Amino acid sequence: MLKRNSLQIFSSVILALFLREIQTRFGSKRLGYFWALFDAMFMVLIFAGLKSAISEHSMPGIEFPVFLATGFLAFFMWKNIVKKSMGAFSANTALFNYKQVKPIDTIITRFLIEILVSAMATLVFLAIALYIDLDVSIKDFNMVMLGVFWLALFGFAIGLFTAVVGTFYETFSKIVDVIITPMMFVSAIMYTVDSLPPVLREIILYNPLAHFLELIHGSYFSKLHTNYVDYEYIFYWTFIPLFLGLYFYTKAEKKIIASK
Amino acid sequence: MIELRNVTKYYKTSRGKKYILNDVSQIIPTHTNVGILGRNGAGKSTLLRMLGGIDFPNSGTIHSDKTFSWPMGLAGGFQGSMTGRQNVKFVCRIYGKSEYEIQQAIESVKEFSELGDYFDMPIKIYSSGMKSRLSFGLSLFFDFDYLIIDETLSVGDKNFQVKSKNALKKKIENCNVLLVSHSMPTLKEICDSGIVVNDGNMTYYEDINEAIAVYDAINKQK
Repeated sequence: MLKRNSLQIFSSVILALFLREIQTRFGSKRLGYFWALFDAMFMVLIFAGLKSAISEHSMPGIEFPVFLATGFLAFFMWKNIVKKSMGAFSANTALFNYKQVKPIDTIITRFLIEILVSAMATLVFLAIALYIDLDVSIKDFNMVMLGVFWLALFGFAIGLFTAVVGTFYETFSKIVDVIITPMMFVSAIMYTVDSLPPVLREIILYNPLAHFLELIHGSYFSKLHTNYVDYEYIFYWTFIPLFLGLYFYTKAEKKIIASK
Repeated sequence: MIELRNVTKYYKTSRGKKYILNDVSQIIPTHTNVGILGRNGAGKSTLLRMLGGIDFPNSGTIHSDKTFSWPMGLAGGFQGSMTGRQNVKFVCRIYGKSEYEIQQAIESVKEFSELGDYFDMPIKIYSSGMKSRLSFGLSLFFDFDYLIIDETLSVGDKNFQVKSKNALKKKIENCNVLLVSHSMPTLKEICDSGIVVNDGNMTYYEDINEAIAVYDAINKQK
């Protein structure tokens, strides 16, 4: 049998996992396309409805549905990356029977798929927004992209760290699983940090997600700013879990493979 | 050649460590078909998994420049939610096969495994025999230096047993096999040499008949 180098093996494994995962998620009976859109769409409709019922013009110069959509699309991308990465090992244990398949490959694959799914959901949102004639113009496209991809990397870091630690301490992944969804309410998705009273502002800025959302919103809308974003803070939140996760992973890889 | 150097493998249990291999150094020469014998729980399957690169010694090294198949056995190895066809595709892809080769593999595995309609159903509804047939049929498609087989030949009806034994015999003209089996006639038929795993030790015998004799003696003692 031909010897292949590790990069060739890695890329064929990622491709195989990618196609397998796409097939199970978006197979004919799974309605995967629908669910990919549903979460964000549902939230935008609910909060846009609530907002217009309460007060019409609390955010002058900003299309509130667009504000919500950018926030929820970003948040759900992060949430799905974390959740899918956390469960990647246990969903694929049988495939570790092939020595080419390393556990981290399953996380990388899921990470790529979630980015792809979010991108597709974003395109659908854009199409709808253009159709109903909402203003979707972006102040600083590059900064928005930086925010989105950094947020994705942050999700990867948390997901990897949780997956590795959770293999040995199941409680840990359960805790992460429970707190992820409520994070939605304290991450400056349906409001800006600016609009909060000073006391709450200080508290919410301990949440790295709030910084990411401020970065994305502030770079998207010309009426908003990114003054509250502490880049150093989110840098630590991204790279400490990433390096710890990778470090523990290299130590534990064999145990994860053999643990099935 | 497979070289084990100071290999120690144990499982932690509530009553201390259970040793599968305790500081074993052993060389298994090339070009011999090896039968692996041992009582239940002696660690035959663990040994196969270590040779297949999906389990690891606690200390020591196992070295070989040969290629090994995945361990074929009754226990798992397939993702339950995927169909037989999808699993074949998946395995071909991780070995870097082209789409054309994948189609060939599907045809040949489908024919060999005699799964019929089950080939397009999720693996979780397969019986263990059906899984082994799929696994074994798939492995025939690849050119490994060593096939790693755990009891697979004893599944299925008589016809299928004969068929897979013949397929294996043809296959091992070009490669070698590491075979765990409790069936002495099968071992004598397929294997040249033997390994007996017992009490944290493994010993290599050049003649399978010698290995079987040692194994019988162990069984009588206990």
